Amino acid sequence: MTTEPVSAGGDPRRLLSEVRSLAHRVRVDQRMTWVALLVLAGVTFVGIPFDWLGMTVRCRPDSSCEFARRGALYYWPPALLLAYAAIAVSYVRAARARGLGARVLPYVIAGAATTVVFTAAWVAAPLYFASHPESMQRLSYWWLVLDRLVSPWSMIGIALVVLARIERNIGLLLFTLAYLALVLLVLPMNEGWGLAGWGLQAQFAVPQAISGAVLLLGAVGFFTAARRRQR
Amino acid sequence: MTAPGTPDPDAGHPVNGLDEVVHQRARLGILTIAHEAHRVEFGYLRTHLELTAGNLSKHLSVLESAGLIEVEKGYEGRRGRTWITLTATGTTALANEIARLKQLIDRVETSNGQ
Repeated sequence: MTTEPVSAGGDPRRLLSEVRSLAHRVRVDQRMTWVALLVLAGVTFVGIPFDWLGMTVRCRPDSSCEFARRGALYYWPPALLLAYAAIAVSYVRAARARGLGARVLPYVIAGAATTVVFTAAWVAAPLYFASHPESMQRLSYWWLVLDRLVSPWSMIGIALVVLARIERNIGLLLFTLAYLALVLLVLPMNEGWGLAGWGLQAQFAVPQAISGAVLLLGAVGFFTAARRRQR
Repeated sequence: MTAPGTPDPDAGHPVNGLDEVVHQRARLGILTIAHEAHRVEFGYLRTHLELTAGNLSKHLSVLESAGLIEVEKGYEGRRGRTWITLTATGTTALANEIARLKQLIDRVETSNGQ
């Protein structure tokens, strides 16, 4: 540590470079990315039995089935709101312990807003299709993608994009884009996935377990990276 | 004389618009960290700016007198804690200083290129 007064002014390039480096250091010290991903992974795993037990399935003699994911609808809105509150508290506490303020509020607001959007969409869709049953026959691939977009698993990803933006965290942005591509385009979150003979509940559990595992792996990866930086 | 953080509109060269209070390595560092952190504790500033407690206190007094920061003292358990927050004037002063520094760099690069 220096006891001499620091010289005034200096090379503008050096000063700007120091300003950027200090700002980056603060942003890195404020991050708790792994906690956010761990909480969201936990919420995803806990949601599987709720979806399984709360799903009502009615199969007709022609082997076509109708189902309603009531368990997921009742579980996810409060679970997500609690998860965002828990993430906010852990961010604020960790930042405070390090001697910093936290910038997590926009993420929590985005999380709450996406929760409202998903809930409204899941309530509105069955009401619409009940009064327009013919439109169910004309659903395109992109409607299925839109349906996945307004699911809680995708909404987690949308809110994570906001977190990556406020943290200016390129690693989290890349992870989130890959996660969103997975839950929107690869995993059949709204159709189910599994072997022949599996029940509908089990088929819906598989993509949820995969998305939870991806979030958990992300949490482990960001935790390891944060530990390495501290050494 | 202009208020701290307000660039002199008559200043032609970017150097003339630099604010003496802000254009100082440690004070610029304090403003940068406080801006990025929203709120920063004395100990964090001391560690990351590599200053002694006495030196840091002097710089904080200068910034507080100029109305660029607010200093809040309190306790967490038995431990005394001092938190620093940037004021709206401080935010403007920091933005102006960074803009002036960029202008200076542009000028130097333009004159070197000629």
